Amino acid sequence: MYIELLKLASPETVVVVTALVVLALGLANERTAGLCSGVAAAGLLFAVAAVLMLPQQATLFHGMLVITPLTSLFKIICLVLAFFTVILARADLSSRNRGEYLALVLLATIGLMLLVGSEELLMIFIGLELTGLSLYVMAGFDKTDVRSAEAGLKYFLFGSTASAFTLFGISFIYGMTGTTALAAIGQKLTTAPVQPLLFVGIVMTLIGFAFKIAAAPFHLWAPDTYQGAPVPSAAFIASGSKVASFVVLGKIVLVGFGPAQGSAAWHAMVAGWAPVLAALAALSILIGNLVALAQTNVRRLLAYSAVAHAGYTLLGLVAGGREGFSATLFYTTVYAFTLVGAFGVVALVRRETGGDDLKNFSGLSSRSPLLAGCMSIFMLSLAGLPPLAGFFGKFYLFSAALRAVDNNGLLWLVAIALFGSLISLYYYLMVLKVIFVDEKSSSTTQPLNPSTSADFLQEISLTVLAAVVLFLGVMPGTLVARIIAAVQ
Amino acid sequence: MIAWTIYVTFAGAILLLFLPRTSARWIALATTVAGFAISLLALSRMPIVDLATFKTIVRIPWVPMLGMEYHLAVDGISLTLALVTGLTAVSAVLFSWDVDHRQNEFFFWLLLVVGGSYGVFFSADLFLLFVFYELVIVPKYFLIAIWGSTNKEYGAMKLTLYSFFGGALVFIGIIAAYAATGSLNLYDLAQFQFSTQLQSWAFPVLFLGFAVLAGIWPLHTWAPTGHVAAPTAGSMLLAGIVMKLGAYGALRVAMNIFPQGFHMWSRYIAVFAVIGILYAAAVALRQRDLKFVIGYSSVSHMGFVLLGLATANALGVSGAVLQMFSHGVIGALLFAIAGTIYRRTHTRDLDTLSTMGLSRALPFAAFAFVIASAASMGIPGFSGFAAEITILIGTWKSYPMAVWITGAGMVLVAAFTLRALKKSFFDTAVSTNGGTTSVSSNASANALPPITIAEKWGAGLLMFATLAIGLYPRLLLDRIMPAVEAMRFLKQ
Amino acid sequence: MITLGDYLIVSGLLFTIGFAGVMLRRNIIIIFMCLELMLNAANLSLVAFSRFRVDAGLPNYNAQVFVFFIITVAAAEVAVGLAIIVALFRARQTTHVEDIASLKF
Repeated sequence: MYIELLKLASPETVVVVTALVVLALGLANERTAGLCSGVAAAGLLFAVAAVLMLPQQATLFHGMLVITPLTSLFKIICLVLAFFTVILARADLSSRNRGEYLALVLLATIGLMLLVGSEELLMIFIGLELTGLSLYVMAGFDKTDVRSAEAGLKYFLFGSTASAFTLFGISFIYGMTGTTALAAIGQKLTTAPVQPLLFVGIVMTLIGFAFKIAAAPFHLWAPDTYQGAPVPSAAFIASGSKVASFVVLGKIVLVGFGPAQGSAAWHAMVAGWAPVLAALAALSILIGNLVALAQTNVRRLLAYSAVAHAGYTLLGLVAGGREGFSATLFYTTVYAFTLVGAFGVVALVRRETGGDDLKNFSGLSSRSPLLAGCMSIFMLSLAGLPPLAGFFGKFYLFSAALRAVDNNGLLWLVAIALFGSLISLYYYLMVLKVIFVDEKSSSTTQPLNPSTSADFLQEISLTVLAAVVLFLGVMPGTLVARIIAAVQ
Repeated sequence: MIAWTIYVTFAGAILLLFLPRTSARWIALATTVAGFAISLLALSRMPIVDLATFKTIVRIPWVPMLGMEYHLAVDGISLTLALVTGLTAVSAVLFSWDVDHRQNEFFFWLLLVVGGSYGVFFSADLFLLFVFYELVIVPKYFLIAIWGSTNKEYGAMKLTLYSFFGGALVFIGIIAAYAATGSLNLYDLAQFQFSTQLQSWAFPVLFLGFAVLAGIWPLHTWAPTGHVAAPTAGSMLLAGIVMKLGAYGALRVAMNIFPQGFHMWSRYIAVFAVIGILYAAAVALRQRDLKFVIGYSSVSHMGFVLLGLATANALGVSGAVLQMFSHGVIGALLFAIAGTIYRRTHTRDLDTLSTMGLSRALPFAAFAFVIASAASMGIPGFSGFAAEITILIGTWKSYPMAVWITGAGMVLVAAFTLRALKKSFFDTAVSTNGGTTSVSSNASANALPPITIAEKWGAGLLMFATLAIGLYPRLLLDRIMPAVEAMRFLKQ
Repeated sequence: MITLGDYLIVSGLLFTIGFAGVMLRRNIIIIFMCLELMLNAANLSLVAFSRFRVDAGLPNYNAQVFVFFIITVAAAEVAVGLAIIVALFRARQTTHVEDIASLKF
């Protein structure tokens, strides 16, 4: 039994061991920062290999640990995102305490893998908390920056409140169904009518996840955290944590609460979680996009746009079904890679100019055409323009939403989303305008240390990310086929 | 073969990113000439019979799970529009020969617009068409925002948001069709019987989405501001190609797949088209900025295209396609001349220009502008006449009333064109103002740099095209008519 | 006789008090305590549900195991939270949330 556990949990084990090694290395000697990064990156790659060697299908302890093509795919995606975060951290953070920081990244990654690979509410809760606790510390990690501690505190307060909500919701769901395994809950719900207490439980659970994915009105932490936290932490919070949350949220609502879906169609609303998610989605899209218009800090702008994107991504879950879920998964994956890339550019610009306001980006295209090119790919993908992955993602998502309900019942939601995209195009273009059109004015930017040349490794990783975004836009079939095959 | 127009153009664009700036314009020229040559070759080689239906040339599965294909096809309509794209692109490059600010980027964006447009004209898969259609949006923004003039950031943003808004409507229409059939193939969709209820709302959404880019009144306001803000080549592309994308999409997609919806709404389209013709012409009459005059004239000419489409008979629609070609050439020529004047005098204000006596300073420009104006007014012998008369005959069959009103509109067109022509080149205000100003302005006019060879070639190409089609419209009409007759919305 | 409903009412009250405290209080330490209250409300309802769901004469122990995990997690949460507060206190010399507003819209 335990041998099998070790075998099936080998990727997690690899990451745990790596985390401990990195922690020990970091504590042993202050000057091993480079080595720590190397070990962490190697460990993550090793874990990817371990995931590839897992069996196709396996279940342990009534769904506490599940292995399906879906979980394997998303474990790999989480590991790759963590890998890019490690590279980002290599350039962005001072080398003090690097080992501790990397160990936290790895611990958070384990949390994500547990989240992805479980169909049991207890395990999901533990995964959430493991991720959350690591990320709180990562957000507040930069002791030289007051804003970092503040970002950490805000993230922590909102996060713990949200997890308390989730927990309370879970307790009601358990009380009504007598189990914490998602499949069993789904079975119970098909036979028994939905009681009000159970509905309260479902809604409270969803609130906790709405916080994780930064959907309005539970998004208030996002702008402060994205802006104040160290860049790699912000990138990981925005990407890895979000991907895993969407995977789990999808599993919970579609597998666990599936029978209580209800309908969010115009004129034909049926009580269930779908209308709740639809309301969250509509609110997120509107609030996120409208407030993003007013931002002058790129990281804050990305935060509000993240709120809007959470709204778009929810569309697929509202639509439900296989197609909706795979559209959500595709979109959130693409979004995560795009955002890691965007934060990578922000990190380099910040290092070069000492800030991440819009004005710090002015004239970037003449200073560094490569960075400018990568940033434009990321921004345009976020805006949903072809031939980039964001375009296909939106097309897939919106068409899934329209096709899911008869008579285009979700047209109202898609119309809101399209309206939101229109607004978002404006502010993404403003970023690009600053980069490409505005000339660099010497008065606004005083380089902190003009001698720092951009990190070669980081430029490569950014180029790779941009290439991924472009590739997934031109050949989306490669990933979509895998996701569709995995979502059964 | 014709598919290579797309590949060559994008390859040229990518090449530009990696090569030194000194060779940028030559690469751009070679690329656009190659594209134009390929479409010319296709025109001469492809049998007319083959162009009667939308014939597949490339078909590769793309995202099989969702039924998306990389599917290109060609018929007479596509080929005509590819020709005007090639023509405009070549002369746009020639007219931006002296762009020296960030050349590589400039030509990169320019080629993206051109390549995306070829793609739209040859797509037989709705998703592919939409990809190319949206691909054109961002390059336009950069072309205008970086290299433009007069309020460029506002103009660029307005144009981009309008395009994107149109794109969003198109998107809803496409998805509605996709959701009903599960297919994105234009052939399948053109055979499918959609429910009347769906057609009644999906058609206007789809049509309006495309028509935004075609400059339909009252959503045309992006066009004058965008044209004015754009650099010369940018305005040429906007007038010559981008506005055609909208009209083409309306014809190929909206009208073709939702015929009943089209019949329900065609008379409203005709009303909007006629209002657009009159309104834009009237506004053009009052403008002081030369480019605004031409910008509004574009809207007015595109009104003819929409009117032709609204007739729903073979003659009217064929005329509309011919008008797309014709206006592409004429609009590009007008903007090109306006651009050359602006580059030399640094003003586009008609009153200022009228004191300069430009006809003597820039005789070639004056000549080209006369030709363009004549073609724009619809003087027989030029392509504008051939196209507009075909549209009006078609309209006579469907909406006789509209012909009378439009006739009045043509008088307005003639009026504002002549006004612009007179003020910019042939005004005698110089002599009435007294001797001193006359001398000084003549002196300044004489100092203007002469028209370059590249500009002469670019203008010559466009002038030749408008004359050739004016004298022998059957060259295109023979290919357009059968393709139009193959569409199922025609009322016979 | 104390019924399941009674436990749930108490648990609901605890949760509400905790949430109100998080929303209304301005001292971070007290907000912290209120967070714990919310977690413990969940614990209470879990245990109550577990006790009252009797299968074949035995309560369903799943939830009671769950509670142990929650207690552990709560302890970890306190550790992390206090660490962040200490870091912030060093920088700002305050534990009041109104004073922590260097990041503003």
